[in-house]
Amino acid sequence: MSDATEPTADGRDRLLASISRYQVPIGILLLVGLLRPVIAHDALLGSSYIASSMLIWMLFAAAFNLLYGYSGLLSFGHAIFLGTGIYGVAIGLRHFDLPYLVAAPIGVIVAGLIAYGIARLIVGYGEIYFAMLTLAFAEAIHFVVNADPFGLTGGADGLRSGTTPGWIESFRGQSVVQLGGGEFDLYYFVAIVFVLATLALWQIVRSPFGRTLVAIRDNEELARAMGISTARYQVWAFTLSGIFSAIAGTLLVIRNSGASLENFGMMTGAEVILMSIFGGMSYFFGPIAGAFSWFFAREYLTNLEMVAVPLLGTVDVGPILGYWRFFFGFLFVVVIVLSPREGLWGFVRSIADRVRRRLTEVIRE
Amino acid sequence: MSVATLASTPDELPSIPWLLAGLALLAVVIVTLAVRPQLFISNLVGGLVYGMILMMIALGLSLILGLLGVVNFAHGALFMLGAYGAYQTVALFELPFWLALVVVPIGVGLLGVLMEVTVLRRLYGEDPLIGLLATFGVALMLEEATRAQWGGTPLSFDPPAVLRASVQVGFLEIATTRLFTAAVGALVVGGLYVLMYRTDFGLSIRAGLQDQQMAEFLGIDIPKRFTIVFFIGAAIAGLSGVLRGAEVGMDLGMGMDFVILAFVVIVVGGLGSIFGSVVSALLIGVAVFVTPVMLRAATTVAGLEWLYVSGIGGLMPFLVMIGVLLVRPRGLFGEEGLLE
Repeated sequence: MSDATEPTADGRDRLLASISRYQVPIGILLLVGLLRPVIAHDALLGSSYIASSMLIWMLFAAAFNLLYGYSGLLSFGHAIFLGTGIYGVAIGLRHFDLPYLVAAPIGVIVAGLIAYGIARLIVGYGEIYFAMLTLAFAEAIHFVVNADPFGLTGGADGLRSGTTPGWIESFRGQSVVQLGGGEFDLYYFVAIVFVLATLALWQIVRSPFGRTLVAIRDNEELARAMGISTARYQVWAFTLSGIFSAIAGTLLVIRNSGASLENFGMMTGAEVILMSIFGGMSYFFGPIAGAFSWFFAREYLTNLEMVAVPLLGTVDVGPILGYWRFFFGFLFVVVIVLSPREGLWGFVRSIADRVRRRLTEVIRE
Repeated sequence: MSVATLASTPDELPSIPWLLAGLALLAVVIVTLAVRPQLFISNLVGGLVYGMILMMIALGLSLILGLLGVVNFAHGALFMLGAYGAYQTVALFELPFWLALVVVPIGVGLLGVLMEVTVLRRLYGEDPLIGLLATFGVALMLEEATRAQWGGTPLSFDPPAVLRASVQVGFLEIATTRLFTAAVGALVVGGLYVLMYRTDFGLSIRAGLQDQQMAEFLGIDIPKRFTIVFFIGAAIAGLSGVLRGAEVGMDLGMGMDFVILAFVVIVVGGLGSIFGSVVSALLIGVAVFVTPVMLRAATTVAGLEWLYVSGIGGLMPFLVMIGVLLVRPRGLFGEEGLLE
């Protein structure tokens, strides 16, 4: 660097500092703005159809990671909260004719109460117990929903008709929001909620509360010795994680136009784990990257039919890639064995770091 | 912590609420016996057999958990592979069922060894959650591979004629598959007990459980022992899969369903106790089958039909577990401090 830039260096440093300080909000806004046009590009998926599903699952994964990534508690039962959000809206709209803006908060609050109750019961057990107990609760609630109590949940059929708010117009799978004469794609409604919710999550993560969670995760005995009531923090982490998962649920019910029993299923809770850990649970954007790669891999691979392999010519891979979960599972095991905490995002970051270091070396010379 | 737990669970006579609860349960049993004796007894037998299957899976799981500190989520997938392997042998290769009963568990055991050597061996001593997640990934792969090989629709095969008959015991007719399953289950428990507590091999494994480093100083090849134990656990899962497949058939969800139930059994019975797993597996098996009958009888007699909940049977394992954990956190016969 030459001396001529000296006077402005201070201002530039401040700019850089504030960029690195606010990199998460900037990243969230960039993500929301770029996701739809980028995946609609012909070289990628060629359609923006799944963009809103992606955003919703990104929020779900980020909410899940508040629990696992930041407080070290693994939950196999997060389908409970997503499902409660979904069914809360569906039941409210269909059976009680509530407006969406009333039904959705009720669903979220109920999910929060369930999360608080479960957490109070099981938070004192060891990590493994905790994980398996959440699974048991998820199975139990799945049973209850399947049994169709008081005709509310529709049992194995789920709830379809009468669960879409009046201001949503669905046409050939594309949902459009109609508000005050104007209309816009559902994606933008989802995007607004997504931005608000992830910003709130980010604030939680960097607040003293979030820092305390990290401290408990890293060394529970030490945290307790410092006078932190670890169980209480973990209960609230679980509750908050459940609440944000339910918010994702209240969006998913519009996107899927209805509630189905599999929202409460074992696989729903499993998928969010796979996404988050594959993406990298040590980072705020890790689970978001994981959710993106999950959906992208699913859409891209299941649409892929012919692949040109050198020496062999074109190979019909359609039948094999129908079982894309097998390959995702394999990659997941590889990630777990090699570096369980870093994941895909950690890998991307280490490459970016290396590139940046090379660049600064080149510039210096 | 330990002082508090010791003080809070003294051996004392059951208090009044417990006595009342016991009497109420007894009353319901008597009512059910009076209203529907046949159904009650046959469901009791069915529950015990179901409990036997649960018990075998739970024993393999708790063996691996106790020794290696890993909750083997793929244990259910191995159980499922046992059932599909039997289907392949009996229905597709048209070989005798008795051959499947021997060959399939060995095959599943070898698959388990492969899994242990390639994946789990790298994760010993790490955070136990990592092992849980890795085996979860393996379970997902096995499930998807099964779907690719045998398809997603439920399958079943015809067991040999001996197992399709039924025996008259008193006024009760019991299918021989059920008797056979119960007999095999009892043999497995007995064999496992003898192996763990009456042989040098079992002694060395228990030594490794208590203090791995010390056992290795004394010249015991612990990694090899681990692999053998993993083989035994996986083979038992395969065996129970064969039996379950012969009795009710198979589908892709059975692996996940049963591994969850098996963990519930272990938690209720208490970690590290073979006896506890046996008792809780039978208890939960019976609860699943008998509760609906008892509830039906009790609500009919009391004229409160609306209280009857359909599907309560499937909910019972989780209700039992929540209840046991609230009253006695380390399970019915658990040792203190394991994995807490």
